[in-house]
Amino acid sequence: MSAKKIQVIAMNRVEGDLEVHLEMEDGLIREARCVGTMFRGIENLLLGRGLLDGLVITPRICGICTTAQLKAAAKALDVAFEADVPDNGRRIRNITLMVEMLQNDIRHAFLLFLPDFTNSIYRSFPFYEEIVNRYAPLKGRTVIETIKETKRILEITAILGGQWPHSSFMVPGGVVSVPSISDLATCRYILGTYRRWYESRVLGCSLSRWSEIRSKADLLSWLDEKPSHGKSELGFFIRISMSVGLQSLGAAHGNFLSFGALDLPAATDVAPLGQGETFMPGGFYRNGRTLPFRQENILEDVSHARFDDDTSVMHPFRGLTVPGTSDSEEKYSWAKAPRYKGLPAETGPLAEMVLSNDPLFLDLIKEDGPGVFARELARLSRPALLIPVMEQWLKEVADDCTNFFTTYRKRQEGKGSGLIEAPRGALGHWLTFEKGKITNYQVVTPTTWNASPRDADGERGPMEEALVGTPVRDPDNPVEAEHVVRSFDPCLVCTVHTVDLSGRSGRRTNSPVMVWPRP
Amino acid sequence: MSKTVYWIQCGGCGGDTWSLFNGEAPNFVDLLESLDLDLLWHPTLSVVRQEELQEVTRRLMEGDLHLDFLCVEGTVIHGPDGSGMYDVVLGTPKKEIVAALARRADYVIAVGTCASFGGVGANGDIEGTGLQFLKWEPGGLLGKDFKSGSGLPVVNLPGCPCHSDVITGTLSALVYGRDLELNNHNSPLDWYGVMVHQGCTRNEYHEYRVEEVKFGERGCLFFYMGCHGPLVTGPCNKILWNRRSSKTRVGVPCFGCTRPDFPQPYPFFETRNIEGIPLELPDGVSRAHYLAYKGMAAAAAPERLIKRKPGI
Repeated sequence: MSAKKIQVIAMNRVEGDLEVHLEMEDGLIREARCVGTMFRGIENLLLGRGLLDGLVITPRICGICTTAQLKAAAKALDVAFEADVPDNGRRIRNITLMVEMLQNDIRHAFLLFLPDFTNSIYRSFPFYEEIVNRYAPLKGRTVIETIKETKRILEITAILGGQWPHSSFMVPGGVVSVPSISDLATCRYILGTYRRWYESRVLGCSLSRWSEIRSKADLLSWLDEKPSHGKSELGFFIRISMSVGLQSLGAAHGNFLSFGALDLPAATDVAPLGQGETFMPGGFYRNGRTLPFRQENILEDVSHARFDDDTSVMHPFRGLTVPGTSDSEEKYSWAKAPRYKGLPAETGPLAEMVLSNDPLFLDLIKEDGPGVFARELARLSRPALLIPVMEQWLKEVADDCTNFFTTYRKRQEGKGSGLIEAPRGALGHWLTFEKGKITNYQVVTPTTWNASPRDADGERGPMEEALVGTPVRDPDNPVEAEHVVRSFDPCLVCTVHTVDLSGRSGRRTNSPVMVWPRP
Repeated sequence: MSKTVYWIQCGGCGGDTWSLFNGEAPNFVDLLESLDLDLLWHPTLSVVRQEELQEVTRRLMEGDLHLDFLCVEGTVIHGPDGSGMYDVVLGTPKKEIVAALARRADYVIAVGTCASFGGVGANGDIEGTGLQFLKWEPGGLLGKDFKSGSGLPVVNLPGCPCHSDVITGTLSALVYGRDLELNNHNSPLDWYGVMVHQGCTRNEYHEYRVEEVKFGERGCLFFYMGCHGPLVTGPCNKILWNRRSSKTRVGVPCFGCTRPDFPQPYPFFETRNIEGIPLELPDGVSRAHYLAYKGMAAAAAPERLIKRKPGI
């Protein structure tokens, strides 16, 4: 029996608008296309503007990774002006970026990802009642706790940077703020409160106990070690995953990319997790091998994207964002397809763990493949890795509360790139300027990598690849596809070059009510 | 009976939603509970099947289900060429959905500068507008004469993002039936009747013209660093951000994000000036008086301010 069905899901609980086009047959997803449905044109708004204006405009790309955009913008200007960022400037930049990761990782898990398990398809599963008790929207106890706790950690960014979201406290050469000893003490107390909540409610154990888990076998024995482990959010997530089979769902190509997370101060007691100048090393991982990251290997392919652009493959320094008018089936998305050495690459917390040679995640990938479970576990456990480092950097700033900024010399012409790890993975800003005005600004976000369309070789983007082969219990309610897509924590507001293809007249409907588009 | 709320995101960053999540008293969950609000739809929170959402939306548009509050976040995208096809839901331009829902709502609230005045997308490829304004000009998506079911125009809550207390305070006032006094741009005076400058901890520097010329010096940011604090209204220093601070307090100039022309067309982080005096003076001040006052103020500046330490 061949039951073929074509389904388009307009996803919510992702940041922004995403449509997933699925072809299902015999209980499997056979083909998938991911399409952002909003174009915001932010890069072009920067053309002709003042050199520092990216610091104000680009945080507005995204309301949940606004500090990350600010950091990438500031770093691009550091490079362009050859500005030297003093150690305390680096620490404040890192701490505030880590605050953003801490709120994102928890909010993503409990407000965006796990509520999908309240779907009626799981009604007969053993954990269903508990799932609803925890994750029902605006009612579940974990949802309410998440809303109450995550906003507190953001107070650190307000103290060090004025407000969250959307401040512009990072500038070339460091940060503008000069926090006092008492400001830093308050930050440490706030972080301590968050740590205790994360340990008791999310992990169910101390950070140090968690750090001892080095393999899948360790993880399973940890789960059974104490009732508090099995009942914690993370323990419960593991139990749901095993019951539903999340570990075998949603593997992409297995190519991982990280730009390297958190610039190390020149003098610090924080030990990096690998080589290089960042706390978590950058690199490209494929077939069990890690190659050092080199930005010349990034190219953006627009062969399947609807841009009026004669050159199909370009480095972002030369890339353009011209919304096109062509209307062909082949150019099915307006998202550009960034490729590393010509290959699609997944980015995000799992990539960061893999490139840091984290033994637990390397083992999970070996045992089960790089699927939904490993991807989500990497995100949910990332705070355990970050919190001790933040504590150390806050202490180091308080030890010598000076030198947050070094004066730089503004130039009239030049270029710079700011490549960082945002909460969702690799984020790059590329800036070119002449006569004191911006002449090109390109932003390639983590979701641009993960939700990218096919390239000139017909190779799918990571999210598309992860969807293909996914078993679906009910083609009318393909919640498995939603697990796969949400495990990438897609942020479509960020995907600034993305536009919908449904602008073509054939798909336009006259009804004011949303309807299914033509298959 | 519960009041219904439908929250829709157009061309924006989601920042107003995340700002709303900063709320402490009330937090978002307590807000809904204490005002007895029924959140029919919020794109970041709702777990609603697509068919159910379409059904609810259809019933609201046809008047079969009453809509008390329509909250709109993000600029209304009209591009390309007025079609709105740069922002669609399953093929339908979102601007059409917003317009249809606005006609049925008792109150329409523009949350953030983008929904109020067009904001970040106003002059770009996407042809963004606010609900009832485009920058300073009345009009926007719904037209200057639009009134919602209550008789009020669109209530504009600008700010990039809008502060959570402003959103919850506005909803509370309307649910309790209090009159909201609005300014010329239809924003409540409670929060938009005070300058951002008011309450800034750097006011004493401003008083004596102790000005910051490079980052991190701790002075007033108005003369050289592009601060809009004395020029625009907003509650940033009255109610503070994340209960802790504000941009100007830590040394980030106010970018005037509540003003209809945000983002300004001229560069950030610098003050346009005439012979060293800002081109735009504090709201309502006469230039001659201001010049005289600033000259004397600088001469009167006490040593303890001139020799200030930045970290204290």
